Amino acid sequence: MNELRKSFHSDLDDAKKELVALAASVTEAIPRATAVLLEGDLEGADFIIRGDDEIDARSLDIEEHCYRILALQAPVASDLRQVVALLKMVAEVERSNDLLCNICKAARRIYGHELDPKLRGIISRMGEQAQQLYDAAIESFIENDAAKAAAIDDMDSYLDGLQKQFVQAIFESHAAGRIDLQVAVQLAVVARFYERIGDHAVNIGERVNFVVTGWLPEHKGAQRYRARMDITGEIPRDGMADLAGDPS
Amino acid sequence: MHADGPLTESTELRMDQLTTESAAAPAADTAAVFTTQGLEVYYGDFRAVRDVDLTIRQHEITAFIGPSGCGKTTVLRCFNRMNDLIDTARVKGSIRYHGVDLYDPQVNAVEVRRRIGMVFQKPNPFPKSIYDNVAYGPRLAGIKKRTELDAVVERSLHGAALWDEVKGRLKASGLSLSGGQQQRLCIARAIAVEPEVILMDEPCSALDPIATARIEDLMQEIKQQYTIVIVTHNMQQAARVSDRTAFFTTEVNPESDRRTGRMVEFGRTSKMFSKPDDERTEQYVTGRFG
Repeated sequence: MNELRKSFHSDLDDAKKELVALAASVTEAIPRATAVLLEGDLEGADFIIRGDDEIDARSLDIEEHCYRILALQAPVASDLRQVVALLKMVAEVERSNDLLCNICKAARRIYGHELDPKLRGIISRMGEQAQQLYDAAIESFIENDAAKAAAIDDMDSYLDGLQKQFVQAIFESHAAGRIDLQVAVQLAVVARFYERIGDHAVNIGERVNFVVTGWLPEHKGAQRYRARMDITGEIPRDGMADLAGDPS
Repeated sequence: MHADGPLTESTELRMDQLTTESAAAPAADTAAVFTTQGLEVYYGDFRAVRDVDLTIRQHEITAFIGPSGCGKTTVLRCFNRMNDLIDTARVKGSIRYHGVDLYDPQVNAVEVRRRIGMVFQKPNPFPKSIYDNVAYGPRLAGIKKRTELDAVVERSLHGAALWDEVKGRLKASGLSLSGGQQQRLCIARAIAVEPEVILMDEPCSALDPIATARIEDLMQEIKQQYTIVIVTHNMQQAARVSDRTAFFTTEVNPESDRRTGRMVEFGRTSKMFSKPDDERTEQYVTGRFG
């Protein structure tokens, strides 16, 4: 069998490598941001926040690379799915790095405040879990492994559970007078940032599934919406909000 | 010519039944015009193409794609029995046109070609005037009155989006037109006899991109009235213009070293170019195989 369009396919592979490298940079930054938070490392915070410009620039390059492929190569079938997936994934990765910057900014705001061991332990575990989710998402993309990509959703449930535990621990710590209200609020937001990073990894996994199988993740929500339309015969007045049900 | 003669002496087309049947089918599917089952075409004892199972639907554009020698033109030529003109060619399996076996000995091949017109790769106007090119078929069909012919010529040239460009020089030779105009003249000539189906064999391969875009636009316009089957080497053209696509490939018999065409997959064009079911289709459309 003759391989045709070799230079196009190697160009497409390059775009994929760029995305994988970008995601790897963000994955490596997750434990750094956690260390910044736990150790009150202001220099480290600056380093990560400044580094976001580079992540933005690389994201833009990948986006432009994808536009160039679309404009010049007219990709179809799995090639087209890959380009579309790259465009969606790059936004997820770029946004995840923004969230790491937000964690660093929160670290600045609570600088000098002692955190009790329980809080520190959960922060540490949230950071580890978010990193594992990202690792799995990127591996599934490299290997085109839809099964591995599907497992990310389950891994994310554990991170969601940690977030809930953490919020409870913040309440307890605040009630016992170990942290003041401002710190409590900052920590609650930090928990939310980790949880969102996990969601972005889940979204990447869903795009991997799309590349491999052609199935768009939004189908689940769309099906609920259509089922609702079939019953009522009209678009619900409150829009999609009440259809969200169990967003996955 | 306006009153459609029966396709065979004994079998009337039962359009009313077909219409009723199609109403019961899913809304997205129009009535079947051609249905092939296990279609194979032989040249002598050489099997040129096999496994052709597809349905051409009314008011749709169906594209045939595949590498050279895969049998797409051979299959196209079955639909108006053009292969009859090749002595050694014979057809196995069935092609039904509105339920009628197209290769039934009672079927009149001339009437088939009246209903199923064809446009070829190279524009081939007759060495006659623009007017006479278009009026040729209607004259053969017995239209003699000048006013009636005038009306057919104008309507057909309008239909082929050529009228405005040639209305002042209908007596000029068809060969004086540009390539793209000549091809539209051939389309006008094809639709002058009011066919139901137009078969197009790489109609744009000799045209520049602008003339190609005109023909593609024209195909979209006229599919409201006709059913179109197009063979194209240009995959993007198939993706742009067609509703359904059939992908053909070639298989080499290791013993005889002979290549046989084979239909691999047939489906909606949007699916064939986004998530084809067959790995061979995927490899062909993405350019991993040629």
